[in-house]
Formats: sequence, structure tokens, C-alpha cells
Amino acid sequence: MAVHRIFLVASQTQESVEAQLHDAANAELLTRWEREWVPDLERAKQQLAAKNVPRAEWPHDLHWDWRKKLAYYKGLLGVETFAILCLERLQGLMMINLTKDARLAEQKGKPLVYVDFLQTAPWNRVDLVGSRQFEGIGTSLLLAAIARSEHEGFHGRIGLHSLPQSEGYYRTKLGMSDLGPDSLKQQLRYFEVSPEQARRLREEI
Amino acid sequence: MKTKKTMTLNLTDAEMTALDELASAKDLTKTSVLRQALRLYQMVDHRARSGDKMFFENDASKEKTELMFL
Repeated sequence: MAVHRIFLVASQTQESVEAQLHDAANAELLTRWEREWVPDLERAKQQLAAKNVPRAEWPHDLHWDWRKKLAYYKGLLGVETFAILCLERLQGLMMINLTKDARLAEQKGKPLVYVDFLQTAPWNRVDLVGSRQFEGIGTSLLLAAIARSEHEGFHGRIGLHSLPQSEGYYRTKLGMSDLGPDSLKQQLRYFEVSPEQARRLREEI
Repeated sequence: MKTKKTMTLNLTDAEMTALDELASAKDLTKTSVLRQALRLYQMVDHRARSGDKMFFENDASKEKTELMFL
């Protein structure tokens, strides 16, 4: 497992804070997920239930079980995980799949890195706690996916299905191509980054 | 950086042609095509062993055909 130095932004002070990008989520990181995230996520679910928010309107990732996800894909060459640690706490997790192809017309059929799951720590989510400790976690993980794509010879191509609460971030902030709702994926919108868009993102961010 | 091991691969003309064509179509090096093939084969085998079936669906007719593994 390799560890790379990256920087996040502390939301309150806007100062850069050194963090570590791990290119594999090991048992220690999973223990951190269980200890540091799960209690907050359970609390968030209880609060939503107490406020009678319909389940369909809950953030779709509250039930994600990273231990089960990693166990299912254990040992598979086509699935990899990344994690970000900062101030000795787990800040973000991502699972990517290297066996999918691009859908953009000019890239159709060429391999890409598909971002299967991306989740940030509960204390970094405005939708859960109204504020966030660090900014840039999702972006750092997506840049890691782009770097992995380039390293694999996929020229920076990445793709993902967005949860409804994240569509604006992918479309507007990152300028990813929006290929619309996917009937095979619960109508989630599919977004993709072409090699040109990947180059732009790496230069601008 | 993960440690890599080198192996020699002997291919027939037809196999090399197929590899060249896939590398060109997929915008990949020949090494990347072989690596991708291994990932896909392992993934499909894993899903099949888990009880999943793999289908191809014709985009126009929506006809599905199951891919058999022997």
C-alpha cells in the first residue's frame, strides 16, 4: 500500500492541512470507518426519522457498508480502494472499478476508471451536520481516480453515477459531461470525464 | 509502486493480430490490453461463482443472450 501526501482545506480558516492519500483501504482503515463514521451516520438516520423525513429523501449513501463492499471484491484486480486520512481521522473513502468502458460518443468503448462509491466523513458533510471540517475530499479522491486512469493508460477517463445530492458538484463545479439518467442504475445520472477534461481538471485544481 | 514480474508470452499470428486490433480500438498498449483481459476474466469468473449470470442485450431488439462459461 502506498501513501501520498495531499492537502485539504480547513473550512473555518481556509488554511491548507496536510493529509495522506492511501491507495488501498486496509483493515485498520475499515476499523476507523466503523469507529469514526458509523455512529455519526446512525445518529443522522435517527434524526431524519425523528423529523419524519421520507426515506426516499434521505442521502442515499447512509446505509453503505464498506466492510461488506471490500469483502465482496477482495482479491479482484479490477477493483481498488482509496482512503484519505487527516489529523488521524478517516476523511474519505472511494472504490473504483477498472473493468468498465466509456460512454461519451467520442470515447465510446475505451476503458475508464469507474468510481463505484465515494463517501466523505459525516463531519465533512453539509447535508448531515450543516457544516464541514475539511473541503476538497471528494475532489482529491476524483483526482486520484484520474491519476490512476492515466497510470493505467486510460488517459484520465473516469465515469460515475451521481447520487442526487451530488449532481450539481459534478456538473457545475467539476464540469463533467452529464449523460443523463441511467435506467439500469436506478435513474441515477451518469457523468464522465474525457481525456481533455481530465487534463483541464488536473491543471485547474 | 507495486512490484512487477516479467514473463515471456508466445502468440500465434492470429492472436497477435487480435491483440494489435484491440490495442488500437481501445487506445491501449498491448500490455494494458492483456492486463485488462485478466481483470475482466477474473471479475466475470468471480461473479459467475457467486451465482450471477452474464447477458448480452441487443440495443435495438432488446434480445438477451446468456454468455456461457464452461
